[in-house]
Amino acid sequence: MSLEPLWVAIKAWPLSAAVRGDEPGTEWLFPIIETLHVIALTLVVGSIAMMDLRLLGIASRSSRVSHLSEEVLPWTWSAWCSAALFGSLLFISNATTYAGNLQFRLKFLCMGLAAINMLIFHLGAYRHVARWESGTPPLAARLAGGLSLLFWIGVVFFGRWTGFTT
Amino acid sequence: MPTMLRPFADWLAATPLSKLLQEHLWIIPTSQSIHIVAVSVVFASACMINLRLLGVGRSGRSVATLSATLIPWMWRGLVVLLCTGLIQIIAEPVRQFVAPVFWAKMAMIVVVATMTGFYARTARGHRPLWDTAFALLSTLLWLAIITCGRFIGYTWSLYA
Repeated sequence: MSLEPLWVAIKAWPLSAAVRGDEPGTEWLFPIIETLHVIALTLVVGSIAMMDLRLLGIASRSSRVSHLSEEVLPWTWSAWCSAALFGSLLFISNATTYAGNLQFRLKFLCMGLAAINMLIFHLGAYRHVARWESGTPPLAARLAGGLSLLFWIGVVFFGRWTGFTT
Repeated sequence: MPTMLRPFADWLAATPLSKLLQEHLWIIPTSQSIHIVAVSVVFASACMINLRLLGVGRSGRSVATLSATLIPWMWRGLVVLLCTGLIQIIAEPVRQFVAPVFWAKMAMIVVVATMTGFYARTARGHRPLWDTAFALLSTLLWLAIITCGRFIGYTWSLYA
């Protein structure tokens, strides 16, 4: 099943045309939304990196993992929702091109892998966090931290490359 | 300033090093990607410290602990930003030097880095008024720096 007709329909929305800069007075809308997307995504990646580096035992070693999680994750989720909202606006402006772009697809593959990694960590090693959160995390937690860092750096790379290939 | 630097930018763009960076098409996107990852480290750290100084968010570490942990990471991130930024300047000097937002960005980086350097040695959450002023100004400057950085690509051709 091809989703092409859906992307064509979305691209034809007046909102998509406005983001694309096709309407009078909207010429700067795309750069503005893209800047907001970048600001939100740097907060997502930066806050996740704080958790990941703690899980790897590299940074914030004196902080308990559960405390750090309570402190950082609300910001991560708020920033992620903002990045997703602004990102969706960028996507609809040229849905057909982005949907077929290899780098764009790889970005979402990385984000999917990051989500699965997070789910495995929360259902696995994090359930016994009280046992290890004050010292060096167990291998499963270090692995989760390392993979998360890798996948999110992948999201940034493929996101930036999307801009060069569309 | 931009017009004065145009001959220098043209000379730099013609150097073998600049040519090398332009010819390998993967270098600029890769450098920009690393640049964004480093922005994430610096900006998220700055926001965490500034929000705590403003009293937003109840749970978490003290200002002193947070600063001691995060400010060294901000300096590491800044070194990466300077290196990748330099690669982008050498590869596309005209693009940077003619854009007023590039110079605004550079000026604001000097201000916010100096502010953070002084703050790292002095304030530790004991002087509410100074802390609030620092937190607000620092957050605004970082937001403006990121915005100017993103707008170099969108505005430079208006001046070239």
